[in-house]
Amino acid sequence: MMIGTLLLALSIAPLAALIGCLFVHRPRFCETINLIAAAVSFACALPIPFLIDGHAILYWGDYVIIDRAAAWVVLCTSIVYFLASIYSVGYMRMLAEDERLYRFYALFAGFALTTLVGPLMNSVGIYWIAIELTTLVSTFLVAFERVAESMEAAWKYIMVVSAGISLALLGTILFYWNGTFVLGPTYQMTWSVLSTAAPKMNPVLLILAFLLVLVGYGTKVGLAPMHSWLPDAHSESPAPVSAMLSGALLNTAMIGIVRFLGITRAANLGDLPQLVLVAFGAFSLFIGALFIVRQQGIKRLMAYSSIEHMGVVALGFGFGGALGVAGALYHMLNHSLNKSLMFFGAGNMMRAYGTKEILEITGVNRFFPTQGALWLAGAIAITGAPPFGLFLSEFTIMRAGLKPSYSWAVYVMAVLLIVIFVGFMNHFRSMYYGETTPEAAPVRTRLSAWCAVPMWLSFAPLLVLGLWWPAGVWTYLTSIAQSLSPGVP
Amino acid sequence: MSAREILLQIGQVVTVLALAPLIQGIIIQFEERVQRAQGPGIFQPYRDLWKLFHKQIVVPETASWVFWVTPIVAFTCMLTVPILIPVLTDFPLPLSDMGDILGGGLILTLGSFLIILAGLDTSSAYGGIGSSRAVMVAILAEPTLILVFVGITLLAKAMLPFVVNHLLVSNWAAYWSPAHLFLVAAFFILLLVETDRMPIHSSTHIEVYMIEEARILEYSGPLLALLKWASAMKQFIVYTIFCNVLVLPWGLSRDGTAIGALGAAAGLIIKFVLVACVVVFVETAQSRLRFYRYQEPLAASFLLAVLSIIGSQLS
Amino acid sequence: MLVQHLSPLASSLFSLLAIVSLFLSFVMLGSRWLKNYLYAFAAESWTIAALSAAVGYYGSYPELYLIAILTVLFRGVLLPYLIWRIIRRLEVDREIHEILQPSSGLVIGALFVMFALAVSYRVAAEFHLELTVAVLALTVMLSMKLIGFLMLAVRHEAISQVLGLLVLENGIFLGSQILVPGMPLLIELVILFDLLIIVACFGVLVGYLLTHVGTTSTLDLKRLVG
Repeated sequence: MMIGTLLLALSIAPLAALIGCLFVHRPRFCETINLIAAAVSFACALPIPFLIDGHAILYWGDYVIIDRAAAWVVLCTSIVYFLASIYSVGYMRMLAEDERLYRFYALFAGFALTTLVGPLMNSVGIYWIAIELTTLVSTFLVAFERVAESMEAAWKYIMVVSAGISLALLGTILFYWNGTFVLGPTYQMTWSVLSTAAPKMNPVLLILAFLLVLVGYGTKVGLAPMHSWLPDAHSESPAPVSAMLSGALLNTAMIGIVRFLGITRAANLGDLPQLVLVAFGAFSLFIGALFIVRQQGIKRLMAYSSIEHMGVVALGFGFGGALGVAGALYHMLNHSLNKSLMFFGAGNMMRAYGTKEILEITGVNRFFPTQGALWLAGAIAITGAPPFGLFLSEFTIMRAGLKPSYSWAVYVMAVLLIVIFVGFMNHFRSMYYGETTPEAAPVRTRLSAWCAVPMWLSFAPLLVLGLWWPAGVWTYLTSIAQSLSPGVP
Repeated sequence: MSAREILLQIGQVVTVLALAPLIQGIIIQFEERVQRAQGPGIFQPYRDLWKLFHKQIVVPETASWVFWVTPIVAFTCMLTVPILIPVLTDFPLPLSDMGDILGGGLILTLGSFLIILAGLDTSSAYGGIGSSRAVMVAILAEPTLILVFVGITLLAKAMLPFVVNHLLVSNWAAYWSPAHLFLVAAFFILLLVETDRMPIHSSTHIEVYMIEEARILEYSGPLLALLKWASAMKQFIVYTIFCNVLVLPWGLSRDGTAIGALGAAAGLIIKFVLVACVVVFVETAQSRLRFYRYQEPLAASFLLAVLSIIGSQLS
Repeated sequence: MLVQHLSPLASSLFSLLAIVSLFLSFVMLGSRWLKNYLYAFAAESWTIAALSAAVGYYGSYPELYLIAILTVLFRGVLLPYLIWRIIRRLEVDREIHEILQPSSGLVIGALFVMFALAVSYRVAAEFHLELTVAVLALTVMLSMKLIGFLMLAVRHEAISQVLGLLVLENGIFLGSQILVPGMPLLIELVILFDLLIIVACFGVLVGYLLTHVGTTSTLDLKRLVG
């Protein structure tokens, strides 16, 4: 019952913020109420993983499910929501859009709401609708700055993702149809019902449906080659929104793929579904590496890094086994923390220098010694270098892949990660130690504490998680791995 | 093979021969009326033919034997096809088993092919233009025609027009099945193509956008009369296939009595007038397109044929 | 399973309605004028509503009547009206630069239909449903999906893309009526409302595009690359 109350509070908080912002348009009030809502969500999401045991719990007429995987994703989301809410106070003040600010916070709370409740949906159809709603709400956040670029990004975002996600709907319908041969014409299409019926379902249709769902939700996750909306949307939206898109939304969509993968695992379809996921993951890494090396926009660099990391997560789930799944889930958390840090830093620099071009940002370490160092550390972390959390999770995923059928993917991953490291470091070298010209000096040298604190808040756990992987977390994650793919040690 | 059947078969050919100019006249008259003109009267094609048969023949110096052979072959082709299709009776008559729908289509095409050759043969500029345009249209029309035939075959499990006719008369579910309806629509477009009434054809002949007329521009006298007659008969035959096989398969003589055959002939005229109404309506309502949009109606027809084949995939 | 024991007449009716909607999506694919495009979409929605009602009648699923009425209201009246308002505001009548000629589009669409048929046969053979209306439902569903994507690819006027997206949804909706008529009502209802929100969002966004970018042709949206 405790968990039920927490879940209710977790989702009512952003809803209250959304309603509050719609009725009271005063910017300071909206900031505050959103921040409080985020804090409440975070406070409620944090204890859930500790309270929950290995079994899924259903609420509200079986429409809501909370299991360890959902609790984990919700935790990631609420962390990013909390950090981004702190950051947006400082960032949105820099934009000087006070009269439209209530809309931003209303949408922001709404976006957080849909992203938080998405993984909790027990009905496969309702989950699809939740994902669709996240798109609709976040489109207007992407378009918030009302310039031609952000309009273009918003249009591409909603177009590509809606088209992609309609494939997921088709796949969902085919899953249901397949189930009608086992369960009769009418049944509740929940994850567990599908999993139980899966061994008796027709394998050919199951694979077709899974591929459609994979491509559909894969569009939302940003797996290449369905990623084309991602760099645009992430680079043109306000920085807190970019952090939410990257750190929260992608995970929420990923959990759908993982659950469908669990259904195919239950049906014993062989390696094909996982192999496809691995292939998508490897290709995403490849595309990410390619564009990171040649990137010119600072936020696009981060966006391609998100594609790369979603590729890594996909690889982890594709490799499977306790190591792979636990590594991928751990990677989700680390990536959420780290990408928030990177987008916050990128947003600060963008506002400080008044440009999005990497080449026009120079001398970061001279003008912003503390924050610059923090951001650089984040950059080292995001490329998967020790001693940060991402190193640990990527390493775990690689270990999971060291079996004969997937070793090629591990080699590809290792090579591409090195390329990405070099590319990232090269861009940061030019921003930190590149030649400074007088006109390239920042237009704003003082950044408020609102902009710096969340960076520290995300950096600290990142470092801790890199140095110390608590045994409790390990058992927690491996139990998810077992519930997703029964029978795997 | 009784004498009555042979007489009926001859009757089919004679019907086509005799009534083809009438149908042509009715359509032209109707069209003129729709366009608020007086019109020449429905018997004008007969008067035209009579007049042309009494004129002398002028042959271009560049013309070869093809020029002479073409009208005769084209005319003979059009006399052959009625033997194969149900014009008056709904049962096969002697020699009807010589060919199926595809065979009939081949013979029709042979006539058009020779006219194309004749258009090139005189080496006049207009003949060349007309022939090349006709070929451009035909290249796209042929695959569609074949698809329509495939559709018919799948529908009736046979390529004989008589079988299709019987199926549609006896089985309402088959008549109203999407396969059949789309086949009708696809064939209707082909009918417009084959009778030169696509929206790219010019309704006033002898001008720059002509196709059919350009090919026979060099002909005169009885040869021209034969070609015109053959063209009217081709129209009659295509209408017959469209009505008696696909759209209005009723009203054919069941027993082959003289009254029945006469009734069937009268019924044919009524059906053709109905179809002609639709054709004239389409031709008047549809604005004229540039020549280079000729592929659009044909693409639509192709698509309809494909849809019909898809629709026929369930029984 | 509904499709396994259907009377021949019901089967014929279902297939007629399904094929007519497929045909209407081809009309959309082949038309140059946005108005015709919209009318074809509305007609398609009405056809699908009729199909819902027919499935409800022959399969005795009374809740499908409700779905049919809501489909007419939302997809057949409200969505076209909303889009019509957008079109009127934009003062765009037709696609000006065609990426693909309509006739080529039709032929490619026909090839898609053949592909969809092949896939559907393969899938239906798994359940021994080869000769039932299930093949047709799957074919229409998949081919409307492919046609919708073709429209998204070759049309660049913002409204055309929205309509292309709606064709994608229509295809799924149509197929689900025949294949899974017993699907929980809630999901179908929510999807209907969801569609309405999507179109509303698109309306707002098209307005933004016009104000802030000055064009509604996606061919001109090429600032963001790399």
